[in-house]
Amino acid sequence: MTYYLTTVLVYAAVDILACLAISLQFGVSGIVNFSFIIFQAAGAYTAAVLSLPRDTANGGFQTYILGLNLSFPLPWIAATLVGALLAPPIGLVVLRRLRSDYQAIAMLVLSVIASLVVTNTPAFLGGAAGLSLVPQPLSDKFNPYSDGYLWAYTAGALVLAVVVFFIAQRIINSPYGRSLRALRENEVAAKALGKNAVALKMTVFVVGGAIAGLSGAILVGFITTWAPSTWLYPETLILFAAVIVGGRGNNFGAVLGALLVPVGFEEATRYLPPFGPPGLIPALEWVCIGGLILGFLWFRPRGVLPERRRVFAARPQPVVAGEPNAGRD
Amino acid sequence: MPVGTDPVAVTPVAGQPAAAERPLLVASHVSRHFEGVRAVEDVSMDVLPGRITGLIGPNGAGKSTFLAVLAGTLPASSGTITFDGDDVTALPAFKRARRGLVRTFQLPSEFGQLTVLENLLSAAPNNRGDSLGGALLGKRYWKADEDRLVEQARILLDRFRMSAKESDYASSLSGGQKRLVEIMRALMLEPRLLLLDEPMSGVHPSIVGEIADYCEALRDEGLTILLVEHELHMIERMCNPVVVMAQGSVIGQGTMTALRQQREIVDAYLVG
Repeated sequence: MTYYLTTVLVYAAVDILACLAISLQFGVSGIVNFSFIIFQAAGAYTAAVLSLPRDTANGGFQTYILGLNLSFPLPWIAATLVGALLAPPIGLVVLRRLRSDYQAIAMLVLSVIASLVVTNTPAFLGGAAGLSLVPQPLSDKFNPYSDGYLWAYTAGALVLAVVVFFIAQRIINSPYGRSLRALRENEVAAKALGKNAVALKMTVFVVGGAIAGLSGAILVGFITTWAPSTWLYPETLILFAAVIVGGRGNNFGAVLGALLVPVGFEEATRYLPPFGPPGLIPALEWVCIGGLILGFLWFRPRGVLPERRRVFAARPQPVVAGEPNAGRD
Repeated sequence: MPVGTDPVAVTPVAGQPAAAERPLLVASHVSRHFEGVRAVEDVSMDVLPGRITGLIGPNGAGKSTFLAVLAGTLPASSGTITFDGDDVTALPAFKRARRGLVRTFQLPSEFGQLTVLENLLSAAPNNRGDSLGGALLGKRYWKADEDRLVEQARILLDRFRMSAKESDYASSLSGGQKRLVEIMRALMLEPRLLLLDEPMSGVHPSIVGEIADYCEALRDEGLTILLVEHELHMIERMCNPVVVMAQGSVIGQGTMTALRQQREIVDAYLVG
C-alpha cells in the first residue's frame, strides 16, 4: 500500500511540475510547446547517466554515455540545467521566426525526431531498451525499499513541486508575467509597444525547460528506468489536456488539471473491469483524453479554474475636511 | 526634405511658415514590396515636430503598410528612416518603440484577456519587475515601480474618462473604447511620435469627436502625431500638413483646402 500511495504521489508531483511548466509556456505565454516531453526526457536521461556507474559495471547489459556515478543532488541539478540549456537551441530555431501554429508543428516534429534518434542509437542512451537500474538518490546511505525512504522521497518531490509552484506564482503575478500575457494576446502589438518578443519567449521557454528537466530527474530517480516508450509525443498531449481542463494561465488550475487528468483519470481507469479485446481500455483512454480536450475547448475553453482577473487596489479617496468620517478607516 | 520627392512631383506645403523646422522623422525613398506587389514605392516624407500630419488616400494606397514600415512592424524593402537624427531603418519594432516611435493599429489590437488597466501597464517601460530576474526577486523588489505606473495609468484613464472601466477585460469594450485604450496604451510609453492608424474607423460618431479632441490636446502638449484616417472632415480640422498617397506613392501634400484645389488629387481620392 505504501508503495502504491507513494507512487501515485510522486507521479502527482511530477505531473504538477510538468503542468506548471506547460501553463507558463502555453497558458501564460501562448507557446504551444508540443516538444515538452523531450525536455522531461532530457532531464531524466541526464540524471540517469550521471547517477549510473560506467556501462561496463553491470556486466555490460546496457550501453550509454557518461556513467559518472555522481552523488545526489548533482544529477538532479544537472538535469534541471540540461532542461534549461536545451531550450535556447530549440527556441532559436522555432520561436524566432515561426508563427505559433507552425511553432506547434515544428515542436511536434522535433519530439518525434528526438525519440527516433534515441531509439536508433543504442550506444547513446540505451536505445529502445532504455536505461534501467538507475541508482535512487542517496540509496548508498538509506534502504531505497524501506517505507521511510519511499515517504521521504515522496515528501521531497512534493516540496519541490510546492517550491516551483511559488516560483510560477511570482512569475505570473509580476509585470514580467503581464508582458508574457500581452505577448500571448497580440504579439505584433506587444512588439510595437517595446516588448522584445524573442527574449520574453526564450526566458519562459528556458524556465519551462528547467522545470521539465527537474521533473524527469524526480521520476527516473523513483522508477529507476527510462526508455523512449515513456516519453512518446502523446505524453505531451496528456499534459496539455490537463492544463486545458484545469485552467491555463492559472497555477492552481495547472495543479488541479495534473491531479484530475494524468493522475486521477489514469488511476481511475486502472479499476475498470477488463472488457473487450486486449488494448481496448488503453485505446479508449486516448479517446477520452481527446474528448476531454475537445469538450473543454468547446464548452469551457478557460478550464475549471480560469486565469484570474487582476484587480488593483482602489486608490485612496481624498479626505474631505469636515465630513463626519474624515480621517477614519 | 520635402514630402514625396522624385519621381512624383509634389506640391509645396501650403499655408506653412517658411521657418525651417528640424523634422522628427524623415522617410527617404522608402519602398515595401510583397512578392512583386509594390505596396509602397519610393515614398519620401518628413514629419515635423509638434504637429498632426495627416496621411490620406484611397483603400489600398499603402498608408497602413507605410506606417508599419515606419514603426518597424514590417521591414522596408529599400530606403531609409531617420528618427530624431538617428537611422532606425534596421531597428526592430520594439527598439523603435523604446525610442519613442510608437504606433497603433488599423484593426483593434487590445490585449483582450487583460484588463484595461493592465493593457496600459503592459506598455509601461522602466518597471523593475518586467524581467524574469525582477519577477523572481518578488513583489517588494518592483512594487514601487508598479505603484508609480498604476498612478500614471490612472491619470490617463481619468483624462480619457475610462476610469470606470479599469478592471474590465479589454475584450468586453466597445470599438471606440478599444481605440481609446490603444491610444492610452501607446501614451504610457511617453512617445515622441505617435503613429495612429485609422483610430476613428468603426467608431461611434460621438467618440470620433472625442478622439479628435484628445489628439489636438496631445499635439498642444507637444506630441507629434502622424494620423492615417478616412474621416476627411477630421483630417481637415486637425492636420497640417496632409499627405496624399495613391497606389503606393505620394501624390501630393499641403493643407486640405489647398489639396482640394488640385484636380489630380481630387480625381484620385477626394471625390466629392
